Amino acid sequence: MSGAEQSIARGAAIPREDIIFTDLDGSEGVLVDLNRKKFYQLNETAILVWRGLEKRMTVAMIAREMTELYEVSLDQAISSVEGLLASFQAQKLVRPA
Amino acid sequence: MESLPLKIATPEYGPRRLTVELTNICNLHCSYCLRDEDALYHQPANFLPVDLFARVIKDAREFMNIEQVMFTGGEPTLHPGFGKILAVVAAEKLKCSFVTNGWHFDRIWPLILEHRETITHVSFSLDGATAESHDRWRGEGSFARLVRAFSRCWARQVPFNAKVGIRRDTVPQLEQITLFVARMGAAGISFAHIMPTSTDIAELSALTLEERADAEREIAMLRRILKLRISIDVGYYNPYPTAPCSALAGISGNLNYRGELSLCCNLSGFRGANGEEDVVADLKREEFQRALPRLQDLAATQAENRVRMLEGLAAAGTKADLANGSPCLFCLDSFGKTPWSAVANASTERSLPVLQ
Repeated sequence: MSGAEQSIARGAAIPREDIIFTDLDGSEGVLVDLNRKKFYQLNETAILVWRGLEKRMTVAMIAREMTELYEVSLDQAISSVEGLLASFQAQKLVRPA
Repeated sequence: MESLPLKIATPEYGPRRLTVELTNICNLHCSYCLRDEDALYHQPANFLPVDLFARVIKDAREFMNIEQVMFTGGEPTLHPGFGKILAVVAAEKLKCSFVTNGWHFDRIWPLILEHRETITHVSFSLDGATAESHDRWRGEGSFARLVRAFSRCWARQVPFNAKVGIRRDTVPQLEQITLFVARMGAAGISFAHIMPTSTDIAELSALTLEERADAEREIAMLRRILKLRISIDVGYYNPYPTAPCSALAGISGNLNYRGELSLCCNLSGFRGANGEEDVVADLKREEFQRALPRLQDLAATQAENRVRMLEGLAAAGTKADLANGSPCLFCLDSFGKTPWSAVANASTERSLPVLQ
């Protein structure tokens, strides 16, 4: 794992500047990658993670928020956030802070 | 190289329609805007009354057989009764579209979803394919808001178009802008030559006849290459006698925010204009059906004037220049909308490339 990937895995990732997020109705969102001119749809959980990254929150902080909103354990929440973060990273939607 | 006009097929005028200016005001400040500066920014906000709109639309459907209403402004989404306006269109079983800068799209989005069966499409004004090029004209944050509006439409499959002015700064970006619009999921893109509202705009942004022809050829090329619906609004060089637009063909009219019936939205409230001979009636005081024949007479007379002008040039063996060959520039001049051009032409022979 590269330094950047490790950094992101710990949660120190932020949305790239050329990504525009639109919250459609709270349960569905859209990301536009202006660099690659691509759309991505976000579900409710992904919106929560994306908003957390916008607020410069760590994986642990986002996961804790998730446990307050949904009936999931902290371990499950961390796993979910890390999974989404990996997806964002794979699509180059986030960068190391 | 000789500039040859593109072969123009018989113009497609679109549905019988009324363009409707819902307000005089706009939240953005684009220097090339054709609307009167005072009305946009220095006069009190005026909004077309919903009850007047309802009466006119009902009559226009009955007596003019309109099928479509196209909202413009100012910025039409600033109308506080925008939802009621859409409801009127729906009640009359008509269709509508509107042009917007997208700034307030989040706020009106619920209204669009509520009336999506009535709205054929949304037209977004676009000035470039990047935040830098778009926001240069419209202010910081405009591009991001526009992309969010595109996102909403894309996600909910609301058809949308982009409207792009053909200016000196957009000509090198025509392909880039078109590809951007296509990638954003738009149904189409329509280009339009900007209207010259002053010597500054004419010199800085408007194109010469040769430059216009190059831009029109480039747009025609993009149209051949891409599946996206690409069009160019009337105003292009068209020295043929057939009525060049829906207004002169007598199948469209314009209702301004003061409730007046006029010939064309491009002439209405024109920045720096002398007079309003394109206005035929104040519909606050007169019924639509009584005013309609005057609108049709005005359209027919203007169309005849244009044919006579073209025939006169042909008889003299003279090629139409830009001012005569562009139907919009011909109408602007005919209706006294560009008094500055005569002054500028009198003061210097080479200060107005767009009208020389």
